[in-house]
Amino acid sequence: MPSYTAPLRDMRFVYHELIDGDSLQELPAYAEATPDTVDAVLEEAGKLCRDVLQPLNRGGDEEGCTYENGVVRTPAGFKEAYAAFVEGGWPSLAADPDYGGQGLPHLLNTLVEELICSANLSFGTYPGLTHGAYRALHAHASQELKDRYLPKLAEGTWTGTMCLTEPHCGTDLGLVRTKAETNDDGSYAISGTKIYISCGEHDLAENIVHLVLARLPGAPAGTKGISLFVVPKFLPNEDGTPGVRNGVSCGGIEHKMGLNASATCVMNFEGATGWLVGESNKGMRQMFTMMNLARLAVGIQGIGLSEASYQGAVQYAHDRKQGRGLNGPRYPDRKADPIVVHPDVRRMLLTMRAYTEGMRALGAWVAREADIADAHPDADRRQQGDDLVALMTPVVKALFTDLGYDVTNLGVQIHGGSGYVRETGMEQFVRDCRIAQIYEGANGIQGLDLVGRKMPAHTGRSLRRFFHPVANFLAEHQDNKELAPFVQPLSKGFGRLQTVTGWLAQKGLSDPEEAGAAATDYLRLIGLVALGYMWARTAQVALAHTGDDGDGFYAAKLATARFFMQKLLPQTGALVSQIMSGKDALMDVPESAFALSA
Amino acid sequence: MAEATDSPVKEAAVLGAGVMGAAIAAHLANAGVTVHLLDIVPEGAKDRDTVAKTAIQKLLKQDPAPFTHKRNAKRVQPGNIEDHLDRLASCDWIVEAVIERLDIKQALYRRLDEKRKPGSVVSSNTSTIPLAALTDGMPDTFRRDFLITHFFNPPRYMRLLELVAGPDTRPDAVAAIEAFGDRGLGKSVVHCNDTPGFIANRIGIYWLTASIVHAQEMGVGIEEADAVIGRPFGIPKTGVFGLMDLVGLDLMPHVMGSMREALPKHDPFHAIDRELPVVRQMIEAGYTGRKGKGGFYRINREGGGKAKEVVSLDDFTYSPVTRPKPDCLEAARHGGVAALLQSPDKVAAYARKVMGATLAYAAYLVPEVHDDPAAIDEAIRLGYNWKQGPFELIDAIGAANLAQALKAEEQPVPAFLQQIGDGSFYRTVDGELQVFRADGQYHTVRRADGVLRLADVKRRGKPVVKNGSASLWDLGDGIACLEFHTKMNAIDNKIMEMIHTAIATVPKSFKALVIHNEGSNFSAGANLGLAMFAANIAAWDQIEQMVEGGQTAYRALKYAPFPVIGAPSGMALGGGCEVLLHCDAVQAHMETYMGLVEPGVGVVPAWGGCTEMLARYAANPKLPKGPMPPTGKAFETISVATVAKSAEEAKQHGFLRESDRITMNRDRVLADAKALALELAEGYQPPEKPEYVLPGPSGKVALDLAVDSFRQQGKTTLHDLTVADKLGEVLSGGDADMTEPKGEDFLLALERKAFMELVKTEPTLQRIEHMLETGKPLRN
Repeated sequence: MPSYTAPLRDMRFVYHELIDGDSLQELPAYAEATPDTVDAVLEEAGKLCRDVLQPLNRGGDEEGCTYENGVVRTPAGFKEAYAAFVEGGWPSLAADPDYGGQGLPHLLNTLVEELICSANLSFGTYPGLTHGAYRALHAHASQELKDRYLPKLAEGTWTGTMCLTEPHCGTDLGLVRTKAETNDDGSYAISGTKIYISCGEHDLAENIVHLVLARLPGAPAGTKGISLFVVPKFLPNEDGTPGVRNGVSCGGIEHKMGLNASATCVMNFEGATGWLVGESNKGMRQMFTMMNLARLAVGIQGIGLSEASYQGAVQYAHDRKQGRGLNGPRYPDRKADPIVVHPDVRRMLLTMRAYTEGMRALGAWVAREADIADAHPDADRRQQGDDLVALMTPVVKALFTDLGYDVTNLGVQIHGGSGYVRETGMEQFVRDCRIAQIYEGANGIQGLDLVGRKMPAHTGRSLRRFFHPVANFLAEHQDNKELAPFVQPLSKGFGRLQTVTGWLAQKGLSDPEEAGAAATDYLRLIGLVALGYMWARTAQVALAHTGDDGDGFYAAKLATARFFMQKLLPQTGALVSQIMSGKDALMDVPESAFALSA
Repeated sequence: MAEATDSPVKEAAVLGAGVMGAAIAAHLANAGVTVHLLDIVPEGAKDRDTVAKTAIQKLLKQDPAPFTHKRNAKRVQPGNIEDHLDRLASCDWIVEAVIERLDIKQALYRRLDEKRKPGSVVSSNTSTIPLAALTDGMPDTFRRDFLITHFFNPPRYMRLLELVAGPDTRPDAVAAIEAFGDRGLGKSVVHCNDTPGFIANRIGIYWLTASIVHAQEMGVGIEEADAVIGRPFGIPKTGVFGLMDLVGLDLMPHVMGSMREALPKHDPFHAIDRELPVVRQMIEAGYTGRKGKGGFYRINREGGGKAKEVVSLDDFTYSPVTRPKPDCLEAARHGGVAALLQSPDKVAAYARKVMGATLAYAAYLVPEVHDDPAAIDEAIRLGYNWKQGPFELIDAIGAANLAQALKAEEQPVPAFLQQIGDGSFYRTVDGELQVFRADGQYHTVRRADGVLRLADVKRRGKPVVKNGSASLWDLGDGIACLEFHTKMNAIDNKIMEMIHTAIATVPKSFKALVIHNEGSNFSAGANLGLAMFAANIAAWDQIEQMVEGGQTAYRALKYAPFPVIGAPSGMALGGGCEVLLHCDAVQAHMETYMGLVEPGVGVVPAWGGCTEMLARYAANPKLPKGPMPPTGKAFETISVATVAKSAEEAKQHGFLRESDRITMNRDRVLADAKALALELAEGYQPPEKPEYVLPGPSGKVALDLAVDSFRQQGKTTLHDLTVADKLGEVLSGGDADMTEPKGEDFLLALERKAFMELVKTEPTLQRIEHMLETGKPLRN
């Protein structure tokens, strides 16, 4: 198992130097987020992850969760680790002070989440879903429900879930069958089966709060007839302690490719008591406000796993000695050179690093805009933040998890055979990452969301929040010679993106299949340009520090930026060709041609 | 005003200054006629002309305006029936528009008959009293000069004029009024039989009644009813109930009552005619529509809000308006009305009931009200603003399908519908539109003498060239016609391409070019959606190319080696106005609404609009000399996005030249434009390039002062100031020196620069987005 060091230097760089996270302090809601506080929080989180969570990661994977008679047990050590997690106040970091939260920015929470994902992704799912449930209740529930549930969720003594999927419907939630019948006391009786419920049942917390999509009697068919309910495992007593066991139970857990320490449950609701969250039949909309953040959080999982894998790969590339440098031995006194001398190993390492750090920067920018969308006093500025988050949510979710999968695979590759055996822990990252490409909306769906919903909305208004900053950056630095090695490739990639965006907007308008055929490639294209923008900005900051670069941090940034511009960003050229070839190569194939032949 | 030189009517009188009478008088004045507007002397009135005078004052305040220009009000001479009947002696036409009572009308006829000059024409605007009754017992001389001229409200805007002649009416009297109604007043004249409600109201009232009765009986909500009996059928989106709110609910019992009395026992109207208790309750409670406390819809202002509410037909209670989306509307989007009517939902069943019955009723009325379905279609199109008349709708649904649907509902199938079988009422043979008439034969649909419809030209052949946004047609006699056919006729790159193509094509086979289309609006301006999307992705080069490309295309039109004649009707805004500014001459429909509205979306006119307006004002002898007056005047007009509400107003604002011509009848615009094109083609020389003497920075200072005073009065928003600043920069000529005249290129470059600076600002993009999404300007 590779050792893990929290990448605090890079996080501080991103937060303070690159995306001006410190400006959030100017918002009344985030006055507490001083640079010292931010650094201290990251420092402490790093320790917790290194000392408590990461050591449990491999054991958790080996042992997995166990199910017996409706009871789910997490692997050894998880209970104690979770208690320490709650004790440290981590669940309340970004929660509302009115409900016992610390009111720190989402941006900071995102960085902490990344640390947790690197250390132990399975563990991270429990507080991750709790935070999602917290946000949904905070945004939509009545005051009474908020008072009853939010403090417990912020504290972490209760955890949360999202119960959407049913055996016959995943992506198409309009087909949800779980029903809610009216009780005399204003509550509802919820009946139905939900599957693939992460953290649906476990032994970490005293109570579990399920958010459930169900249909009221006589509700319209489809997504317009779905309502959101809160259904606790134990009905809370008047004093807030867990009381009588509710009619919800776990019918079993799934055996999976990865993420083994996170319990994926079948949940049976048998007349379970629940309360309506917000308006009836508006459940899908409410779920979507939570889904944006949940999707961003999944994207962060991609970064966390990439970082962990990269750290393992770097260590191995230095330690493993095989063969000689292609232009002669680098270490003639040794029997062999470390494999880090090889161009192809460097290609892999730099690819891993350029993507990982680029994603961290981009994710942080989007998280900062989410904070602005939540808390800026000016409505126009809030709207702008919201637009960027809306546009980038599918990009962050799909690009980061796809790249996460690619990066963790490279981590295995660098290890050779030892990466393929369990002992090194490198293959676990690949398996753990795989689900991130699927849950919270499969990555193909993210592409459709981007080209079908986000791109045309308000004649492309949300595009403006990305395209204008990039265009302005390029205009501002077009004559900057020092920055030219970064500005020129970015300008080329951006030009391609503009061309394709204009083309796709017109094509997609008259033929949705054209948009669908281009969606995944387009998401990758805009994602690469966005990473390129972050790398160009990184280079701009780094260039100002060439004189005070004792630890070589900025030099490394410039080197990685150069690698990204020269070796990764040019993929945009191929993507343009792929996209503009249109749908014919996909759609002209008759369905019968997909039959299996002997 | 229109040229009234050869008009058979030079002086007229309108008796009765009520809503219709006054508005008819206004429109006669619009046609250049001197009009005497006479009404009774109210008891004890100090001013014996007060009724007519008050009516004229009201006309001047009404919106939409009854006058095409306020100065036309001077042509309306107020008076009263007691003292001024002598004035009738000089009138060519006397229109009676008094209360719908036979005794009162006939008494008035007897009095006026003594005063009017021999051979003058008398007509009544009655909508309910038969001509036979009106002329009953009147002298032969009167009967010979009498007819019914039934206008629709508001008379300036509604294009239908129903004309009923009696057996004794002189044909030349009919011809004179028809000719004047057509050319002078711009109406489509439909000759009607002397049957109750004539054509439009006979069918219209049946349709309204059926809509309410069936909605109530089938339990269909008002919003659902309006959603389906509206746009999907090409009926105005106000729908049935919205329309009744507009005209006034209290009218319903009247018109239904008059139909009830006048129609023969066997008429299908009686089968749907019944008491409408909720409507009666509403009228009694003062809910008579928009003029009252509200109607089927009302605005509830309780608690300071503005909640739109709708009434329940069951119990006269109001609840918030919803936006129902019945399945049949979705079906209509893909398969048109035929698919809508086949949808299995309740709202579709309602539509089948209402429209099925209405269309069947129209067929039932052939030949009683007219033997020609084309005349009936025209009456409903122009009297009720339907896009298609009943027989055109039957063709769209399929006559056989309609007959089958009627049978399924156990309704009788009218003989005329049986006669057509599975055929269609209209067909095209050798490029001629033909219609199936009561005699069982197809006849060519004849346009009035001198009417040229682009639709007919299109039916006859293929375009000379065509792309997705515009086409070039051969109008004959060496005249080509450039037609836009985008959504809202918004101007895009393809239209610009077609302009270049036209400029290359015309000299080879034509003498002149007319720019015309038969859309509701000539052009709503540049395609903002395209520009907006390009701006959102920071495709500035593309936008700059769009701007420069438009300037180049319009300039090429202006200096083309042949005359270019604009022939607009409806809105010609922004880029649609600018294309007309570059024409050699314009033959405008009176109902043309021109304006450079770019500041409303946060930009400046940049397809030569600023440049052309400066040239026009510089050439205007009424303005003082010197470089500043054109700049000031152009700034005054453009900065507040002035829109002329008629072609007459457009002349006043300088969007049209004094020499440009106006046509009252929309159907005659193209023929008049073609004639003008032929006129100008003789020895045509392209215009000289003008030189501009511009005030430069000192002029800008003067404009800034003016803007600042508006700001101090609180009349401007923050972004208004930014836009005004850029506009002032262009119109004053940037850094130009007034001792060095500049060419067009200099000003065009300034237009582009200002446009590009503005389009990159957030508030401009917010304005454009708001316009695209709401159709209204954003004040930010």
